[in-house]
Amino acid sequence: MAKLAIANRGEVAVRIILAAQELGIPTVLLHSEVDVGTRAWRMADEKVCIGPATTAESYLRIDRNIEGALAAGATMVHPGFGFLSENADFAQACIDAGLIFIGPKPETIRALGDKISAKQLIEKANVPTVPGYAGSDQSLETLVAHAQRIGFPVIVKAAAGGGGRGMKVIRSKAEAPELIASAQREGKAAFGSEIVFLEKYLDHAKHIEFQVFGDFTGRCVHLFERECTVQRRHQKIVEESLSPSLTPELRAQMAAAAVGLAEKAGYQGAGTVEFLVQDGEFYFLEMNTRLQVEHPVTEMVLGVDLVKAQILTAMKAFRIWKQSELTPRGHSIECRLYAEDSYNRGLPSTGELLGMHWPEGPGRRYEVGFEAGDEVTAYYDPMIAKVIVWDEDRPRAIRKMLRTLDDCVVFGVKTNIPYLKAILTHKDFLDGSMTTQFISQYFPEGLEAQEPTEEMAAFAAGALKSVSSVGAVSSAAGVSPWTQGWRFV
Amino acid sequence: MKMIEVEVNGRMVRGYAVVRGGVLWTHANGRTWTTETGSKRRGSKAGAGASSNPSEITAPMPGKIIKISAPVGSDVAAGDVVIVMEAMKMEYTLKAQAAGRVAEISATAGDQVTLGAVLAKLELEK
Repeated sequence: MAKLAIANRGEVAVRIILAAQELGIPTVLLHSEVDVGTRAWRMADEKVCIGPATTAESYLRIDRNIEGALAAGATMVHPGFGFLSENADFAQACIDAGLIFIGPKPETIRALGDKISAKQLIEKANVPTVPGYAGSDQSLETLVAHAQRIGFPVIVKAAAGGGGRGMKVIRSKAEAPELIASAQREGKAAFGSEIVFLEKYLDHAKHIEFQVFGDFTGRCVHLFERECTVQRRHQKIVEESLSPSLTPELRAQMAAAAVGLAEKAGYQGAGTVEFLVQDGEFYFLEMNTRLQVEHPVTEMVLGVDLVKAQILTAMKAFRIWKQSELTPRGHSIECRLYAEDSYNRGLPSTGELLGMHWPEGPGRRYEVGFEAGDEVTAYYDPMIAKVIVWDEDRPRAIRKMLRTLDDCVVFGVKTNIPYLKAILTHKDFLDGSMTTQFISQYFPEGLEAQEPTEEMAAFAAGALKSVSSVGAVSSAAGVSPWTQGWRFV
Repeated sequence: MKMIEVEVNGRMVRGYAVVRGGVLWTHANGRTWTTETGSKRRGSKAGAGASSNPSEITAPMPGKIIKISAPVGSDVAAGDVVIVMEAMKMEYTLKAQAAGRVAEISATAGDQVTLGAVLAKLELEK
């Protein structure tokens, strides 16, 4: 009898449990000590504690996850995303223990995770990468010539470098010799090596990724793209499908490259090929060999269930869709709702969730790992929920997301809802022209503090009476809230 | 949680409210805000990002110290950055809540710190 172990937590564990429930497969949650009583814990049929809160001693421990799955009699393991989801050793350990790992084969994960073998696969599949020069001829003349061939702006990096040292952006041929020499000197001083390499500097790129899916027979399809350009230090915040930035021709080229790579890699299950796109050209970034956080936007425009498809593919019970069956319709947007202070650089906010309200409506979807009374702790990612909407076109989807965010209520911790609304109403987001520099350009410090209105003070005063009269609190009666400390959260 | 209605300037405004630990949480017209109710009950974890004691700077989450921006002896104003730390791929600035002088720093760049660890003490201006 099939039984599914979940080597993850939070909203993705909930998502996997919901898919398993529909398939009639019992679930086992492999959880840490502090995750007892969380929403996923309450929903799972069985639970096995695999260690303390610290991820290095629980969620990242291959041995404890395997032991826990075996102890509960599980037949399959779903790794979710993050943690061990892209760990080839974990996939292999599952297979060695007689468990089905829901994901690609260990050798596929290894081949795509290793820089050198990934590069070989990419070349075989003819997928374009960021143009550059990393040759052994390090003479200034050669380097300048290559910089000119690549096309300015070009970034020069110390080969042994990191953290920005020995890194310069060259914007014209005139400044190339001086900046390259300077990077060589800095590399020599900081890392003892003056070897540098050159790369095209993508300063107004978009992050666009293709969802791919391979079945157990080796056939691969793509499920169109997601645009995840709005990022804060490589952390995605707002994602959408389809991308507002691709022409049909470019979309077809990128889809072909993504499917080609997946086929060459012998890909099975759900995967994502990430690209940067600038000035009508696309460049391979990396392939993620797992489910993505933002998979719901793909599900919304295509009417598919990627998690069920993953489980059934691993059970060899599902022949994937024909490419011709996959026709996107409308537009979907996802916002990641974090417990953080929109007015203080996104400082994480922890505490008990005193109340939450996720109002349903046509085309609204929530992926939530918490219920009221649960605590947001500092041990794990501070994402409370993903809010997803679908509508007929992009402007309507944006409008629906704004209204949905207005309606969402989270009490007990501060949230990034005001920040998300500021992003969604920015002109560069509205016209779809945002680049990966969007956040650092417009919202580097979060939002400016705001003054409350008189109407809000009056509402608070009335609300206090209303909640006090039903017995929530008695000692506060008679206090004037508008004379006290105010805060938007 | 039930929706409530409050009359404001002769108009009904719908929203939500919860009170806990001397803090009223309200949501109406797409905005959420808190108000201190004056009943100083302990135990509220709301806004745990800031220590309640302005003479101490504590770690609001486990993470790594990136930089000490205001070393011992520095004069700081309210809002000045004292320590920069990193957690979950993000950098966070820990600011002085009141003006004073940095009396003690108990972490150095590169340290891993736990939630609630006291990182700095301030001598507040009288």
